[in-house]
Amino acid sequence: MGSQLALKSRIHSTESLEKIFNAQEMIASSHIAKARDVALNAKPYTDAIFDAVQALVAHTHITHPIAVKDEDNPRVAVLALTSDRGMAGPYTSSIIRETESLLARLEADGKQPELFVYGRRGSTYYKYRNRDVAATWEGDTDQPGVEIAETISNTLMDAYMKPAEKGGVSELYIVFTEFINMVVQKVRVLRMLPVEIVGNEAKVPDPEDEKASEDIPPLYAFEPSLDEVLDAILPKYIQSRIHECLLTAAASETASRQNAMHTATDNARNLVDDLTRKLNASRQASITQELTEIIGSADALNTKEE
Amino acid sequence: MAESEKTTMKVNIVAADHPVWHGEASSVTIPASEGGMGILPDHEPVLTVIKQGTLTVVEPDGNRHMFEVTDGFISFDSNKLTVAVERGRDVQYSSTED
Repeated sequence: MGSQLALKSRIHSTESLEKIFNAQEMIASSHIAKARDVALNAKPYTDAIFDAVQALVAHTHITHPIAVKDEDNPRVAVLALTSDRGMAGPYTSSIIRETESLLARLEADGKQPELFVYGRRGSTYYKYRNRDVAATWEGDTDQPGVEIAETISNTLMDAYMKPAEKGGVSELYIVFTEFINMVVQKVRVLRMLPVEIVGNEAKVPDPEDEKASEDIPPLYAFEPSLDEVLDAILPKYIQSRIHECLLTAAASETASRQNAMHTATDNARNLVDDLTRKLNASRQASITQELTEIIGSADALNTKEE
Repeated sequence: MAESEKTTMKVNIVAADHPVWHGEASSVTIPASEGGMGILPDHEPVLTVIKQGTLTVVEPDGNRHMFEVTDGFISFDSNKLTVAVERGRDVQYSSTED
């Protein structure tokens, strides 16, 4: 039996850890509501841009470099979205694992991946391993604003628009965590550039469906000119897509942190229960021992007197 | 005044991080990249880049609503105007009673 004092101090420290975990869990759940609001607030803008891009695609064959890049350049960019803080369970480690396998896959295809990292956990991971990272961003991973999305998309767009001989890249992949629901978050790899603009499925010619022709968006006038509109809207489209990724990654991070902290709280409680049981047993054992000693010595005294 | 039925259009102004305003309007003036541009209901479908400036919405009851917007774009189709800007804010609201 361990000493009662040691058990007591372990129980005490586990209890205070439990309090911390519980507080973290509650903080995370309050952040989720906030993250949801931010995502909802950004949605109308994303939708507006998406509609505009759809309208552009509908009646122009886009040859803008953002949509089509035909130069033969092996260099590609990979952006990994990790978190700033730990205590989020497997959140950052699964992103890093997926990033590593993507890098290996790209290298096997004869490409030269360049790594961009968002989030302190990811950047320290690569710094510690002395890996070349093209750029890192830190801060605000749990509440990414428009500014950070703008900075990231500007950097990546610069890299993308640069010609190959000046160190430009020909593709951009994003590794992020998709928020499916509170308990399920999935790591996904998205090829962001060149843009694969998915036209409506209804666009597939279907002679029997006459309604399809009515659904074709009206013929737009573009001012000042189609090219200028494309130049203005496509970078915004990229920026809003990146912002969307950041927001869903933030929601996943918070949910993952809440889950991790919930498990930690439960574990701490179980541990406290176990330790308390041990403490009781050890106290009982010492009482029994004391009693045996008293009874034993009383017996000895009695036998002497007789 | 001549028309008994005033025509209006739906207007939706969104900034990158939050919706700014939406409602009905009888006319809207936007700071298009090549100078101011007025949009009335039933305008032809148009997609235009806008620059920094002031966007004015005239509501059906004659109230003017001004918004300060940075660069973005507007799209108009089926009598619905969507204004998407990086940043936008409400600056002034003046009713006809003033």
